[in-house]
Amino acid sequence: MEEQIKFENAAKRIEHIEDVLSSVAAGDLEVRVESDIEDDLTGIEEAINILIDDLTYELKQSKKIKEELEEKLKKIQEQQKTILQQQEDLLELSSPVTKVWDNILILPVIGTLDSQRTQIMMENLLQKIVETGCTNAILDITGVPTVDTQVANHLLKTVTAARLLGADCIISGISPAIAQTIVHLGIDLSAIRTKATLQDAMLFAMKKNNQLVNGKIQVNKIEPEETDK
Amino acid sequence: MNIDFQERKIPIIKIRDFLIVSIQVDMHDKMAVQLQSQILHEIERTGAKGVLIDISVLEMVDSFIGRMLSGMASMASIMDAAVVIVGMQPAVAITLVELGLEMPGINTALNMERGMELLEKMVKDSL
Repeated sequence: MEEQIKFENAAKRIEHIEDVLSSVAAGDLEVRVESDIEDDLTGIEEAINILIDDLTYELKQSKKIKEELEEKLKKIQEQQKTILQQQEDLLELSSPVTKVWDNILILPVIGTLDSQRTQIMMENLLQKIVETGCTNAILDITGVPTVDTQVANHLLKTVTAARLLGADCIISGISPAIAQTIVHLGIDLSAIRTKATLQDAMLFAMKKNNQLVNGKIQVNKIEPEETDK
Repeated sequence: MNIDFQERKIPIIKIRDFLIVSIQVDMHDKMAVQLQSQILHEIERTGAKGVLIDISVLEMVDSFIGRMLSGMASMASIMDAAVVIVGMQPAVAITLVELGLEMPGINTALNMERGMELLEKMVKDSL
């Protein structure tokens, strides 16, 4: 049995509803519309209460989800960091330039080459040439399975850049597969000195430095190549 | 400012049969052109057999300077003087190669000492 709405009460109750709504809007989700009288307004009051309940629930849910997502994001960021760090380490590790003999540098390349790696390789090699003052560098690509146009181009660039610094670059260990690819791709490597094995390249460089006379190693004797033959 | 640039010339030193040019400041285009003619005139005046250009302090070489250097080498070789460029920095070499300026026919050396040896050898060969 519903009572008729009494006007003097109604104004008060609407005011109460307004109060509750404004405090909910301000973030206080604990308040509810309270009423002792049952009439036409009760339905509205109850509906408002249900809405507030729903809102509370949804807010809690979204807060939870947000926290979970944040945690996941943090984890992913950490993993990303590790991956980047490892990539950097790998790049550092993958292009060691060492001095093997007086005036001879060696750069063994193992694994697949990409542009970023060849770039770092080139920088390392040039830096080392300047640091050590070596004028012969051997680029050994025995451990490289395949070569594409871009990589061959990078190798050419490396050799040219070394020449601009005043150092000679020899490429050794070109496998049959790579030789085939290079010729099929139509890349001209004739401007570059190539040797079959690292040993051949070493011998060539040492002969050029006059470190090898009649097959014997001459220690502490580095002179530029003699030309008056 | 302009007058200042024009007045600041790069010194060219003659030792025995060689000219030594040490570029100590960052070059701008005008200065490069001026240096080119300056060196060629100096070759004519002194009858030098070789030119050593030290670019070890040049941090940046653009395509213009690169072309100027390789042009100078061919001009000097017509005038019977060998040109050796020494002390190029790795970054500069990479830039030049990336620009496609591979400077064929230019002789390079790691430092002044090796450049001198190379120059002496080249002069001896050409006699």
